[in-house]
Amino acid sequence: MNRCLSSLFVLLILLTAAGAVFVGGCDKEAADAGPVEIDFWTTQTQSDRIATYQVLVDTFGGLNPDITVNVIPVDENDLSTQMNSAAAAGTMPAVIEGFMNTAVAFGSAGFLNIPAATELINEIGADKFYAGALKLNQTAGGDAYYSIPFHGWVQGIWYRADWFEEAGLNPPETWEDILDAAEYFYDPASNQYGILVGTKAENYAEQVFTQFAMSNGAGLFDAEGNLIFNSPEMKETLEYYAELAQYNPPGPQTWRARDYYLQGKMAMFFYSTYIMDDLALAEAAAGSLTDENFADLAGSSFDPELVENTRMVPIITNTRPAGYGHINSLAFPDTGDDAKTAAARKFVQYLYSPNAYITVLHMAPGGQNPVIKEIAASPRFQADPKKIFENYGAEKMAEIINGLNSIETFSIVEGQRIEAAAVIYSKQIIPQMIYKVTQEGESVDAAMKWAEEEMRKLM
Amino acid sequence: MKIDLTLEQREAGLGWALILPCVIVILSLILYPILSNVISSFFEVSLSARDSFTGFENYRAVVTDAAFWRAVLTTLIYVTASTLGTTLMGLGTAMVMNKVFPLRGLVRSLILLPYVAPVFSVVYAWKFFFDPVNGLFMDITVERLGIFAERFNLIDSPGSALWVAVIFSVWKNFPFTYLMLLSRLQAIDKNIYEAADVDGAGAWHKFRFITLPELYFVMGSIVLLRVIWNFNKFEDIYLLTDNVRVLSIYTYFKAFVGVADLGQGSALVILQFALLVGFILYYVKKVLKW
Repeated sequence: MNRCLSSLFVLLILLTAAGAVFVGGCDKEAADAGPVEIDFWTTQTQSDRIATYQVLVDTFGGLNPDITVNVIPVDENDLSTQMNSAAAAGTMPAVIEGFMNTAVAFGSAGFLNIPAATELINEIGADKFYAGALKLNQTAGGDAYYSIPFHGWVQGIWYRADWFEEAGLNPPETWEDILDAAEYFYDPASNQYGILVGTKAENYAEQVFTQFAMSNGAGLFDAEGNLIFNSPEMKETLEYYAELAQYNPPGPQTWRARDYYLQGKMAMFFYSTYIMDDLALAEAAAGSLTDENFADLAGSSFDPELVENTRMVPIITNTRPAGYGHINSLAFPDTGDDAKTAAARKFVQYLYSPNAYITVLHMAPGGQNPVIKEIAASPRFQADPKKIFENYGAEKMAEIINGLNSIETFSIVEGQRIEAAAVIYSKQIIPQMIYKVTQEGESVDAAMKWAEEEMRKLM
Repeated sequence: MKIDLTLEQREAGLGWALILPCVIVILSLILYPILSNVISSFFEVSLSARDSFTGFENYRAVVTDAAFWRAVLTTLIYVTASTLGTTLMGLGTAMVMNKVFPLRGLVRSLILLPYVAPVFSVVYAWKFFFDPVNGLFMDITVERLGIFAERFNLIDSPGSALWVAVIFSVWKNFPFTYLMLLSRLQAIDKNIYEAADVDGAGAWHKFRFITLPELYFVMGSIVLLRVIWNFNKFEDIYLLTDNVRVLSIYTYFKAFVGVADLGQGSALVILQFALLVGFILYYVKKVLKW
């Protein structure tokens, strides 16, 4: 009996202690001056980019010895998941660099310190940013910003101009021309594929699909915020998309299949301007899968002329022309710790200083384009180390950077912010719908009905 | 004040002192999350505001969702097929490895490789091997041998993904079963087989009436462990393919991907736990006869 009682006593003490540890962990840290350590999450997970960020962080640390910044790479598909877990555990980072859409979803969910971002934009000068990039980031009332636009890319179809020329095909600018070319070049018996569009249930599928939907005048919401997803235009887009996906490499595919293009096994693929960096680094592509590595593999030729023979179509047209792109932004999660917020603001201010900013942009020239006008015009920015400006010409680059001003998204309808669109994006409903139709053979009507129901659940 | 303790009491005190660190770890790392999970399953969990009590609403939402039952079915197929495959393959290998042949020691250790190799590297080797465009498998079966008429995506296609996950599990885990069964096989008294030989028993009869009964309880325990492990399996399947929505993966998507639904996620975990415990109780009583 005595032993039972003492066991129970120990158990109670331990449970209380465990509870105290948990509650203590949830306490907001006191906002005192002195050394501060903050986490900086970035969706730039490539090792060379992390290394560049580390150099910037070290420099910042030299200038601000009281602030320690930890650079933590997080895959873009995992960002929402990680953020949810961090919010639940009370361990949110102080700064996040990621897609603006994701930042809008976080902001709508109450995770972000919106006043801090708005103040910083005003400090830098709202008029210094491209207006289009800022507009994508406005809150529903239009008087504040979820995050601070950082850099952006434009999406388009990259294609083998030499193959098209030889075949006498038009550049893939309209729905019809894209489909014709995809069908023409699709030759699975020779391990050659017509096009790459996203069919795996990941963000990439939605990015490609959005551009088609926009070019057919199909949206998720009207300006009043009513869900108008299940429209004839959207249905037509999904049917067209499914038809196009037949000319993909086999099975569900995502952006990683762009390697097949670099290996000369694909005629067209949707990709952001990040590919300029990859294409310019021809040796990187050559090191991927080449004749030398796999001499016996069928159709594995690498074309040294690939860069020269690659062209890009940024605008797709069916009933109307549509461009698509993404702005990456810096957001301040609401850690509830003033010292951390102050340190985070200081760090972000530093990232916008010309030296640091151009260093970030030069991590992937073409992919990371400035959202600040004067930097775009600066000769130092244009003299990129990978010679992208030289390869593609200042005019083409200016066209791409200007494209950031006219990016369209499901989230903004006639200038109105529809917050639910960002939530729908983060839950990957459209990619799942595409997967159902293209991979599971579900009918377009059934998949759209499913998607509409899922969207309504989130509203 | 001096307290006189008997030797027995002092020993009990020492016992508590020694076991205390372990108890603390268990309580804080296992019991606390379980309790917290049970509590969350009755709330609508908000990450930025207060949770609100919703009673059994999360459970109702989970069991009325057709996707949940699809996940249960997928889990049952996965667990049954992979456990069966692992056990049969482990048994067959153990029988062969129990025979004497040259280089047996080397072969015995080589067989353990899939089990000891890190899952991450093994999964990527599989992905690379079965890649529809660049993989060796398609190159051999389509281009060279002409077994298949065209290339296809074995790992990711919804029609084959579940079976690839099963085969992967069998391949990765049969060495454990083999190792356990082999050690039991080696402990069977040779005299029993000799007596059976004298009685004129054939190979099948010896297997059926000597080997199997001798292996029964070891095999029963291994099957139980394998069911528990595979029922909760996440990393192998998730890394290999995202299309096999067994319960653990379904829960992950429900709870964490996009807009988190931790309430329903918790309810799912509790249901999964209840299913597993139900099975264990039944199995232990009927098969292991405890």
